[in-house]
Amino acid sequence: MPVVEIRDLHKRFGKVEAVKGLSFEIEAGRVTGFLGPNGAGKSTTLRALLGLVRPTAGTATFGGRLYHQLDRPSAQVGAVLEDAAFHPGRTGRNHLRVLAAAGEHPEARVDEVLSTVGLSDAANRRVKGYSMGMRQRLAIAAALLGDPEVLILDEPTNGLDPPGISWMRGLLREQAGKGRAVLVSSHLLAEVAQSVDDVVIISHGELRGQGTLEQVLGGDDGPATEVRTPDPEQLAQALERRGYTVEREGDVLLVLGASPEQVGPIAAEEQVTILGLAPKMRSLEAAFFALTDDGS
Amino acid sequence: MKALLRAELIKLRTTRTFVVLTAAALAISLLVVLLTTTLQDEWTKDDARDLFATDFTGLFILLLGVMGMAGEWRHRTITSTVLAAPRRLRLLGAKTISYAVAGIAISLIVTVAIMAIGTMILSARDLPTLGLGDLVDGLWRNLVVAAYLGAFGVCIGGLIRNQIVAIVGLLLMTFAIEPALIGLASEVGKFGPTVGAPNGFIGLEDVFGEGEEQLTPAVALLVMIGWVGLAFAAAAARLERRDLV
Repeated sequence: MPVVEIRDLHKRFGKVEAVKGLSFEIEAGRVTGFLGPNGAGKSTTLRALLGLVRPTAGTATFGGRLYHQLDRPSAQVGAVLEDAAFHPGRTGRNHLRVLAAAGEHPEARVDEVLSTVGLSDAANRRVKGYSMGMRQRLAIAAALLGDPEVLILDEPTNGLDPPGISWMRGLLREQAGKGRAVLVSSHLLAEVAQSVDDVVIISHGELRGQGTLEQVLGGDDGPATEVRTPDPEQLAQALERRGYTVEREGDVLLVLGASPEQVGPIAAEEQVTILGLAPKMRSLEAAFFALTDDGS
Repeated sequence: MKALLRAELIKLRTTRTFVVLTAAALAISLLVVLLTTTLQDEWTKDDARDLFATDFTGLFILLLGVMGMAGEWRHRTITSTVLAAPRRLRLLGAKTISYAVAGIAISLIVTVAIMAIGTMILSARDLPTLGLGDLVDGLWRNLVVAAYLGAFGVCIGGLIRNQIVAIVGLLLMTFAIEPALIGLASEVGKFGPTVGAPNGFIGLEDVFGEGEEQLTPAVALLVMIGWVGLAFAAAAARLERRDLV
C-alpha cells in the first residue's frame, strides 16, 4: 500500500478550481519531488493532505487514513509548510516544547532536533531575532520532532544559504535511506533534480507527469542514447537498418528510441569500437516546461 | 485532551503577554484600592464589598482570551497548532479551559492582593471592612467570573479572526453598548455577557441604578454558562469549516 495516496482530489475556492481531479501516490524509502509553476495547486494539495483545507471531492490519505484520523499524527507525519510562522516572542526551544507537549513527544526530543538542525546555540533566543534560514531550520526541527515516517516539505530550501541547501539535500536522502517517504515541493528544479527519486508534475491543478526521475526526463519519445565511436557512419547505418533514428554530430551519435542496453549489443555485433555510451536525458527544466506548457 | 491542555499552558507561560496583563491588572487594581481606601472618609461594608469585587481583572482576562485565540491568526501559528492537534473541536476546548484556568490565576493574584492591602488600610483607619467569610465569598465569585471571561474571550477570538476587531468590539461592548443598555433597558441589559451577567453573579450593585433589579447569582451563573456555550458552539462551527490557507 502506498504511504500517501491522493485520489481524484478536487478543491474549489469560490469560482476558482485550484485542484482538478489530481491523483498520485508516494512510496516509502523514496524522495518524491512535487513540481509545478506558481498557482499550480501544489500548496493546496499538500494542505488538503494535512487536513488544513477541506477537499471539494476526492481523498488525500496516509495509509488509507485521513490526517486527523491518525493516532498521534505528528508522530507519523512531519510537515514544513511554505509560510512556517512562529510567535515572535517565544524562543525556538519553547516553540518546540509546545509542539512536543501537544504531540505527546518526550521533551528530550526538543534538544535532539535542535541539534539535528544546528540551532542548539540559538535555542533560547526569541524567534523574532532569527534569520529566515534559522526559521526554516526551526520549522524542519518541528517536523522531525515526532520522528515521523512521512515528511512533507513545501519549498524547504527557502531562506537557506548554500551550505543549508546542501544540508537539506543530505537530510532528504538520509530520511529516505531510513525507509521514510519524503514529499518535497520546490520551484528550484536543479535542486530537486539532485535530491529526488520520483517526480510528480502538476499544472493548473492537473497532473501533467509522474514517474521516476529517469522516466520523466526520458520524455514522451522514449529513451535516447548518446554514443561516441571512431566509426560513426558504420554504427549509424547498422542502427538505421534496425529502424532507429540516428542524429550525427562528428564522432557522436544520438540514437532516438533506443536505450544503451539496446545500442551496446548492436555495436558488438557490428564489431564497432565504443568510446562512450550513456542515456541521453532532457534536463528537468526542459521536461517541466514541456509538461506544464509554461516555457514561454 | 491532557496533552493539549499542557501545550496551551506552556504557550501561556512562554510569552510576555500573560505576565504583562497580570501586572497591568494588579497595578491598576492596587492603585484604585489605595486611592479609594485612603481618600474616602464615608465608608460602609457594602463599599468594601464593591471595591474588592471591582478588581479590574475582568477586562484583562477577556483580552488575554481573545489574544490567545485570535493571536493564532495574527502570528499565523494556527497552521502549526492545527497540525499538532488536527481535531479542531478538541483544540478549541483545550484553549477554552486553559484560558479559564489562566483567568482564575490572574484573578486569584489580584483579588488576594487588593483584599489584603485594602483590609489593612481600612483597619488602620478604623473604617468598617469585611470579615473572612465575606472576603472568601467575594473571592470565589471573582474566580468564577474570571474563568468565564477567559473562556468567553477565547470563543470570541475564535469567532472574530482579526485580533484588533475582536478587541475593539469587546471594549465597545464592555464600556459603551452594555452600560447604555443597562441604563436604557436594564431588563435586557442585565443579561449582557461582559457586564450584566458577571455583575449579577458577583452582586455588584453600583452598576445598576437605584431600584433596578439585577439577576440573582444563580440565574446570572446560568446566563454566563449560556453565553459561553453559545460562543463556543459558534466558534467551533467556524473553526471546523474554515480552510487554513
